[in-house]
Amino acid sequence: MKEKKSHINAIGIALSYVPKYSETFFKNKISGLQKSNYRVILFVDYKCLNDYNHKCEVVYAPKRYQNTIKTILSGFSTLVKAFLFNPKKAISLYYLDKQDGISFANRIKNIILNQFYFTKKIDWLHFGFGMNAIKRENVASAIGAKMAVSFRGSDLYITPLKHNNCYDLLFTKAIKYHVLSEEMKQTLIGYQVDKKYIQVITPAINIDFFKSSSAFKPDENLRLTTVARLHWKKGLEYTLEALSILKQQGIDFKFTIIGEGEERERLIFAAHQLGVINNVAFKGQLNHDEVKAHLQHTDIYLQYSIQEGFCNAVLEAQAMGLLCIVSNAEGLPENVINNQTGWVINKRNPMALAKKIMDVYHLPLVEKEAIRKNAIQRVNQKFNLEKQNREFVEFYK
Amino acid sequence: MSKKIKIAIYSGDIPSTTFIERLIKGLANKGVQIYLFGFIKSKMGYEKNVSIFGYRNTKISKVWHLLKFSVLLFLFKNKDKSKLDKMLKDKSNKPLIARVKYYPVLYYSPDVFHLQWAKGIDEWLWVKEFGIKLVLSLRGAHINYSPLADKRLTNIYKTNFPKVDAFHAVSKAISLEAQKYDAPKEKINVVYSGISLDTFINKYEKQNNVFRIVSIGRPHWKKGYNYALNAIKILKDKNIEFKYVIVGGKKNIELAYQIKDLGLEENITLLNQLAFKDVVNQMQSSDLLLLPSVEEGIANVVLEAMALKTLVVTTDCGGMNEVITNNYNGFLVPIRDPEAIAKTIEYVITLANDDKENIVKNALETINKNHNEQLMVDNMMNIYTKLFS
Repeated sequence: MKEKKSHINAIGIALSYVPKYSETFFKNKISGLQKSNYRVILFVDYKCLNDYNHKCEVVYAPKRYQNTIKTILSGFSTLVKAFLFNPKKAISLYYLDKQDGISFANRIKNIILNQFYFTKKIDWLHFGFGMNAIKRENVASAIGAKMAVSFRGSDLYITPLKHNNCYDLLFTKAIKYHVLSEEMKQTLIGYQVDKKYIQVITPAINIDFFKSSSAFKPDENLRLTTVARLHWKKGLEYTLEALSILKQQGIDFKFTIIGEGEERERLIFAAHQLGVINNVAFKGQLNHDEVKAHLQHTDIYLQYSIQEGFCNAVLEAQAMGLLCIVSNAEGLPENVINNQTGWVINKRNPMALAKKIMDVYHLPLVEKEAIRKNAIQRVNQKFNLEKQNREFVEFYK
Repeated sequence: MSKKIKIAIYSGDIPSTTFIERLIKGLANKGVQIYLFGFIKSKMGYEKNVSIFGYRNTKISKVWHLLKFSVLLFLFKNKDKSKLDKMLKDKSNKPLIARVKYYPVLYYSPDVFHLQWAKGIDEWLWVKEFGIKLVLSLRGAHINYSPLADKRLTNIYKTNFPKVDAFHAVSKAISLEAQKYDAPKEKINVVYSGISLDTFINKYEKQNNVFRIVSIGRPHWKKGYNYALNAIKILKDKNIEFKYVIVGGKKNIELAYQIKDLGLEENITLLNQLAFKDVVNQMQSSDLLLLPSVEEGIANVVLEAMALKTLVVTTDCGGMNEVITNNYNGFLVPIRDPEAIAKTIEYVITLANDDKENIVKNALETINKNHNEQLMVDNMMNIYTKLFS
């Protein structure tokens, strides 16, 4: 199973699933690295029907079973494979885990869990989300690769609330971290991670696709849009409360929510109870073209999130020259510069949001134009795919 | 009715929720013959006149259940069995599971089939074809919001509600809501939830150094805990001293995130769901019960707190204003309004002891008058007997 060392640097990206077509971040990262002559290998935990073909190698973890007997058999065979074909890596992982005080049973489990990483020779092992690196803190060392971890938002701000101290071991390792914002960098530093290991690479969007359109004609009604999963993190309940304040003030508006999710019932009920159901359209999930078409007919874009790593949707809206009002959740104040490319207000404050929407709505046309122009310019300069690709190539040097 | 009336109380589960169990017990104590059908979750000690015809959630138990009642029906009620089978063939897409559920009901044919959850209405209308009266309870989410987000359910309600023999509404508010789905007004009877006061004897004086606020209930969005936490933040910023406990809130990430985000770790404790007696202890030892919900039928925890002489602050949602009159037997605040919650809690904290005494005294009187178990059982019996007069 051993491979000859290739002169090309190989980068392993560890994820739970093969990224879908719509996950532009990974799609672009993979193709960007390939263009720079890197060999990219995806290591994924679960295989799905119709996994998207990224034109790179994919290594799947052994199938996981519900049935106890099958689990034991499969685990045993994986363990045998590990020691038979990659004994050095397996033993190395065993001892590294031992040094970290991991119990014997868990050391064996970790070999089984991580055997599929042993099968390829790579220079970097990059975990796509923080939680992908849990129980894998020593894998990169064991296989002789450098290790990197990306934190992208909820894995840094929410996962530790579900699993207390889940990153304690990870954060003791001298590895490279990629985060989306300065705010996230500060959060990591708060966990005692040395700042010299942390690099901020902001998300990027396809600025050729999300362009401002001259076709836009202001309508009599105020048209507002949010693109977001229907999840509490997105603060849509507070958004609806703000809109009910507008309605009470006699403002006519149409609010469109693009996205699907578990909290649909909660939000539809809220819209009913707040008396704005006739002003709100729940569009469900739309594709890029449909989202773009919709944004072209929007006056003000809202992203009043409670928790947000960075948010590509706001970048796309700004690139299209929309007036954006966002909350101050984590990465958003770096995404939108207050009073320059849009407006940032405190989260969970419907009254403040309602007031800001009215202020922006009544802003003189020249001032609106200035903000639109700034937003387009800043996104084009700072959040384009080429820049992101360059930064990632630099990251692995 | 000359013969003794036989009533099936059906929620699908045996045992059911606390308040449905209270109804079963209350009716049984009156000497009514009760039938319970459905899925047996755990063994229950019921009175003699409560008969259980349930199955366990295993294949063997279900197959045995089906076989037994297929044979019994074949031998003694074959005509009815054929009629039901024909109806199932036309309608049900899972005829076997439907038979497991339906056959025992057909075999024992109670006089009244009292369905506890409206979402099941479509499945149970067939009982009317066999002379069984169908009573439907109108409770909480099934009426207040589920049909708003589900047009299919709205249609099911609108088609079937006019065919129901009688409705039990847990509040006047929910009765109005159900009428939007064509439940005939004259068939709706409001019967308030009742509690047995013996279970809620107040043993302790409240002796908290710091004002203690409690909320009770699973962390579902309808409980509005996010608004409560925003209110707590306002109180904290005003340097008001208090402690807030949410029983049942543990492990909820939305709450955990908000608490951390607002820096409220010191002021708030999230607990797991507790056994009933521990819930009672929590309520009893707290100075105030807060119900921050955005939707309720009538919240039983509020009735229980009132029986335990614990002050109540509740949002004015669902039927809550049918129980609480602001400043008389508790406090009402608008829904989704953290400022109002904070202001009211602050007011309650500063209230003189005599005033607090008056309010809890009035609250206890309200429970005695409108929400005692006996009254609930009598009113429910009225619904059943009226069907045969």
